[in-house]
Amino acid sequence: MLRHSIPQFDSFEIHASLFTDVQNTEDLRAQVATMPFAMIDASTICSLEQLFCAVYKALVECKYNRLRTKTLNSECILSLSPTSNIAEAFKRFGIKEDSKNIVCLAVTNKSESPFSETVFKEQVKGNEIELSDENLSTTLNRETIKKVRNINCKCIG
Amino acid sequence: MSQEIISQVSSYLTSNVPVIPISQGAEAVVFTTTIHPYAPSNNNTDESIKYILKYRPPKKYRHPSIDKALTKHRTLSESRILAKLSQISGLHVPKLIACDVYNGCIWIEFLGEELPNGSGFSSLKNYLWMCVLDPYSKMVEDTLVKVGYQIGLLHWNDYCHGDLTTSNVVLQNSGTHWEPYLIDFGLGSASTLVEDKGVDLYVLERAVNSTHSRYAEKYSQWLMQGYKEVYEKQSKKGQNKLRDVLKRFEEVRLRGRKRSMLG
Amino acid sequence: MVNLNKVLPRNGRDYYLALGLEGSANKLGVGIIKHPLLPKHADSDLSHHCELEILANIRDTYVTPPGEGFLPRDTARHHRNWAVRLVRKALQEAGIDHPSELDTICFTKGPGMGAPLHSVVVMARTLSLLWDVPLVGVNHCVGHIEMGREITKAENPVVLYVSGGNTQVIAYSENRYRIFGETLDIAIGNCLDRFARTLKIPNEPSPGYNIEQLALKCTNKDYLVELPYTVKGMDLSMSGILGYVDSLSKDLFNHNTKNKLLFDPKTGEQLVTVSDLCYSLQENLFAMLVEITERAMAHVNSNQVLIVGGVGCNVRLQEMMASMCRDRSNGQVHATDERFCIDNGVMIAQAGLLQYRMGNAVQDLADTVVTQKFRTDEVYVAWRE
Repeated sequence: MLRHSIPQFDSFEIHASLFTDVQNTEDLRAQVATMPFAMIDASTICSLEQLFCAVYKALVECKYNRLRTKTLNSECILSLSPTSNIAEAFKRFGIKEDSKNIVCLAVTNKSESPFSETVFKEQVKGNEIELSDENLSTTLNRETIKKVRNINCKCIG
Repeated sequence: MSQEIISQVSSYLTSNVPVIPISQGAEAVVFTTTIHPYAPSNNNTDESIKYILKYRPPKKYRHPSIDKALTKHRTLSESRILAKLSQISGLHVPKLIACDVYNGCIWIEFLGEELPNGSGFSSLKNYLWMCVLDPYSKMVEDTLVKVGYQIGLLHWNDYCHGDLTTSNVVLQNSGTHWEPYLIDFGLGSASTLVEDKGVDLYVLERAVNSTHSRYAEKYSQWLMQGYKEVYEKQSKKGQNKLRDVLKRFEEVRLRGRKRSMLG
Repeated sequence: MVNLNKVLPRNGRDYYLALGLEGSANKLGVGIIKHPLLPKHADSDLSHHCELEILANIRDTYVTPPGEGFLPRDTARHHRNWAVRLVRKALQEAGIDHPSELDTICFTKGPGMGAPLHSVVVMARTLSLLWDVPLVGVNHCVGHIEMGREITKAENPVVLYVSGGNTQVIAYSENRYRIFGETLDIAIGNCLDRFARTLKIPNEPSPGYNIEQLALKCTNKDYLVELPYTVKGMDLSMSGILGYVDSLSKDLFNHNTKNKLLFDPKTGEQLVTVSDLCYSLQENLFAMLVEITERAMAHVNSNQVLIVGGVGCNVRLQEMMASMCRDRSNGQVHATDERFCIDNGVMIAQAGLLQYRMGNAVQDLADTVVTQKFRTDEVYVAWRE
């Protein structure tokens, strides 16, 4: 599991893991709303930068404006989306029926009870590998990214 | 620069992000920092990697509700335009890293470097001043044609800069030559109007005339050469558009940007 | 270095006397000033330090009933009716028994309303021929600037010129007062005057002053009626704001409860008063003015601002400008009071006399044609470095 803190918001802690070959996608989808973390379809994530950029944005909204979704974790999924349509963001970046690879992401407040290493593993039946740009490049689907981000230029290939 | 603004920024960013002020314009203050706003792997051992933080401080003279709305609107529009421009292939603009519209903060990629022999930072202005000993060298010509090409590309894609000066072009050394980047899109806009493009070119011409008066004619000629290249690459449509823009440029120049005014 | 003593005073005197006639809008102003002949002016850049003495500064304003503006024809008639009386009174106040002692007679050449300008220039020509005194034609805006510089002693300020007919941000460079930003449509004073007309508030002493007083009565200053904010780079536009705020005030008067901004949709209770509208309009317009001024200051690296023109008397505008300057290192604001801010004869005399002392008097009456359009940057400013 990757732990990270954003310098400007260091009272928060970010926990993230990458799972491949997830077997219980159906179950996970059913419990999306109650999970203490966000589940993101890994085919839409191309780098850690992209992931943490969304976290940063969610934290800015949380601190200076207001959350548009119920939790900070779901706000991160919305922040990944180029539009502000919540349903569309979850549909595109959230866990899908056919999702095999999943990024689990939890943003917690350091003052609250510590986030357990095992939370992700207890829920997700899959193979945990290191969350890194290198591994993300294997789970990424360029066509999906182009579609969800409305990129039509040829420079990204 | 007011100490108050610096302490505002420091308390906003917390002590984890130290910043160094580098310039103050009418609207924004620019800082550099070595801390990336969110990327992991940045445990900051490499001090040479820098980021730009552009901060629009609250203006006390205006009503707080006007101030909030404006700061948000302008920060957002500058970020949007940078994001759009970075998708245009061939166009060089700094990469947008993060933005916080509520506090008027934008993080962008740091560009440029120190020029040799203490000639200052590698803005086009300092570069041209550095080259005064041989103002008409091939290197200067190449650089200016490239700058013109960038501006042409910007206009061809229907965007305007709004404040083109030689300080708003930064050069990045790529080993063999200098690659120009357009910066500061605080007054930028998406526009299909020939008028806006004509004004852009006129503002640039004025800026070159006033900061590099002695060589302005040749410099402007090279800039325009690069500018035209973009349009001439396109088919008949490009030629026509170029003709319209140049015609309007001529008109703007004659009336001196401003229309004649009734008392 | 500039030699301001190129032309010596008449009759071997050690001072200059100038009469200024101003009538480009609804104010007819006559001023008489005196400059001592000082050796330091022979070789200096002290055009803002003329040690000006004002011998007379009188003015008569053509006031129309509430809800009406001033029409060129009626204003010109007002000026014709009053010109002789005012000049006579000014000479008396100044203690000048023989008007042919005057070194020069200065008149407003433009910009302004055609008919009023014309009545005043006819007066100027007549006096010039009658007393055999040379004429000098003055740009109205330059008159404001030179008056402001002399009164406040600001050496090289960025000038915000705000009046009924003009809105410009000006800075001096290479013998011209260059316009950095200006309105793209109507002037700020025009905007305020026309809003005052919609509100049917009195034009006495001036519509802008009455709006300022109404704005002070606004009780809920935290709340602002949102208006368009139309700064375009260094320029601004105000006709849209006027149209919008006009329509709001009409809804208010007609008690149009459908307007949710003004009336509570459920109870129909009125949420906004006329004072609130005046307050919001002022806050919005002045924020725009201060912003473009700040841009110009950053552009030319100046830290002084001089506010001139009728709207420059507005205390709120002066406050906002001062607040902006406090946030800039060593920023200073210079403003004058209503005697000099509002159009007057002294300012025309001041700018005209500077021009005269540089040897630029009118040689031929054919050169005294007035013009409605006369840009500030057309004037060659010989009296500065």
